[in-house]
Amino acid sequence: MDAPSKTIPIVPAPATSATPEEVSLYEISRKIYPRAVHGWFAGWRWALVWLTQIVYYGLPWLAWNGRQAVLFDLAERKFYIFGLVFWPQDVFYLTVLLILSAYALFLFTAVAGRLWCGYACPQTVYTEIFLWVERKIEGDRVARIRLDGEPLSARKFGKKAAKHAVWAAIGLWTGITFVGYFTPIRELVPAIPFALGPWETFWILFYGFATYGNAGWMREQVCKYMCPYARFQSVMFDRDTMIIAYDEERGEPRGARSRKVDPKEKGLGHCVDCQICVQVCPTGIDIRKGLQYECIGCAACIDGCNQVMDKMGYPHGLIRYASQNALTQHFGAKEMWKHVFRTRTLIYTGILLAIVTAASVSLALRNPLKVDVLRDRGALARESQPGLIENVYRLQIMNTTEAPHAFTIRASGLPGIAVVGVEQPVKIEGAAVQTVPIRLQAPADAAPPGPHKIEIHVQAIDDASMKRDERSTFILPRL
Amino acid sequence: MGLDANLMRRMMWVVWPAFLVAAVAETIFFTIFDPFDLHFFGAPLEMSREAIYTLGFFGFWALGIASSALTVFLEQSPWEVNRCTLDPVDRPPGCPKRLAGECASSDAPVSAPRQA
Repeated sequence: MDAPSKTIPIVPAPATSATPEEVSLYEISRKIYPRAVHGWFAGWRWALVWLTQIVYYGLPWLAWNGRQAVLFDLAERKFYIFGLVFWPQDVFYLTVLLILSAYALFLFTAVAGRLWCGYACPQTVYTEIFLWVERKIEGDRVARIRLDGEPLSARKFGKKAAKHAVWAAIGLWTGITFVGYFTPIRELVPAIPFALGPWETFWILFYGFATYGNAGWMREQVCKYMCPYARFQSVMFDRDTMIIAYDEERGEPRGARSRKVDPKEKGLGHCVDCQICVQVCPTGIDIRKGLQYECIGCAACIDGCNQVMDKMGYPHGLIRYASQNALTQHFGAKEMWKHVFRTRTLIYTGILLAIVTAASVSLALRNPLKVDVLRDRGALARESQPGLIENVYRLQIMNTTEAPHAFTIRASGLPGIAVVGVEQPVKIEGAAVQTVPIRLQAPADAAPPGPHKIEIHVQAIDDASMKRDERSTFILPRL
Repeated sequence: MGLDANLMRRMMWVVWPAFLVAAVAETIFFTIFDPFDLHFFGAPLEMSREAIYTLGFFGFWALGIASSALTVFLEQSPWEVNRCTLDPVDRPPGCPKRLAGECASSDAPVSAPRQA
């Protein structure tokens, strides 16, 4: 207890440099300057950029039946998708769509990794477009690094200003298109800028700014730090999933060499350690370290490496789409493809097909007429004439087709029950809801006093399939 | 960069998941409820549907931000919460309190110099 205390002198360690270096506990993100790449996969990526953007920017301009073909009319709470009109009551189909998307994503991921990320994700696509703009204005990787290192000059300012102006323009047009899915775009665009509603203006700027920020500034950081999918993708991977892989066996030991040297003689693999795969990578990783969660599967490194292999006179595919099994067991392409059809992918495919079939059938058989019956809460029942009991209801009739229809309303369930107080037939415009108050009359002696189950039948005059039978109750009071 | 990157990352962890959840909440809520059916302390909301959708979205977002912020706040390690016994200059590189100490040390030291 009373041991003499020992003084341990604290000797300041000499600083290694004059200014202490701040080492963050968090990863420091360095700006990435992806190098332009050409090749088979870059071609595919560009094809997907064109395809997705033609659809995205073009679709709101497409007309159908004298209206916008795809319009999510939030103000009227109706979604128009070509010939179909969806109401909030059809949220079931939205759920189905989400489940379908999820299973499709699982299937693609199990087969060939992050195909979605590499080719179709808006984050990738807009980054690709914004990088293209950057390259056209500032030059390729080396020129951009040099430009960023330069002190501010008129030339640098001009280039930066031009780049941001083009980015902002793309962002703005993307925002306008986005809002054009919710407000008819042919009315929206002529209203710019002064006749726009405040909410439309707000959302155009919000979405435009998000595009500019995500594709211009955030880029790979969205994938690395913000995307949940990147974190759980490996759950869907197995040893037969084709991923972008570096053939270590063939590449190592890596090292620089002259093109004329036989690598075998020097004891070298095929990797010339040129760093091209690292320079073209939009997330700045080294694929030779193996599968990493940052890899978005864009295959830029495959294209880059293949170009180098061509120059060296080596075969393609030092970096390629390959499964772990293919790499370790030396599968040929044919054998690897055979492994695509395995239990996991077959189950995903089976579920997908089942959902698609069920949803298509349900959509085809969808009843375009919806009826809700609400009993009047004010009065339960009253005697309208001696011996005749009346109950009051409100029918909410929804015509989800785009054509007007006329409907007859009948009731059944009690002897002598009849619909009164409404002029028949009831005409309802296309894609409209109408509340129709009706009164039902039945003789007081039709049944014992108390509530009785009845049915109200709504039937379109011109279309036998458009009918609904809704249940309700009719109350016979004790007189 | 040290503290800034740290703070930025944490702000992103707060704002971004809240945004995702707000989008989902908005979709579900307004699929089920028509804005015109909503009442504000008994009185109908006299606004356009677009206005209510927008306010609703930011309302959900704000709630999500509050939740995420609490998560990040409670996630702090004891070393971040407790009073630090080290002098600011002795704190390890990267320590969030080191920079705060350095800022303050120019005029008044954060903690009294320790006796050897």
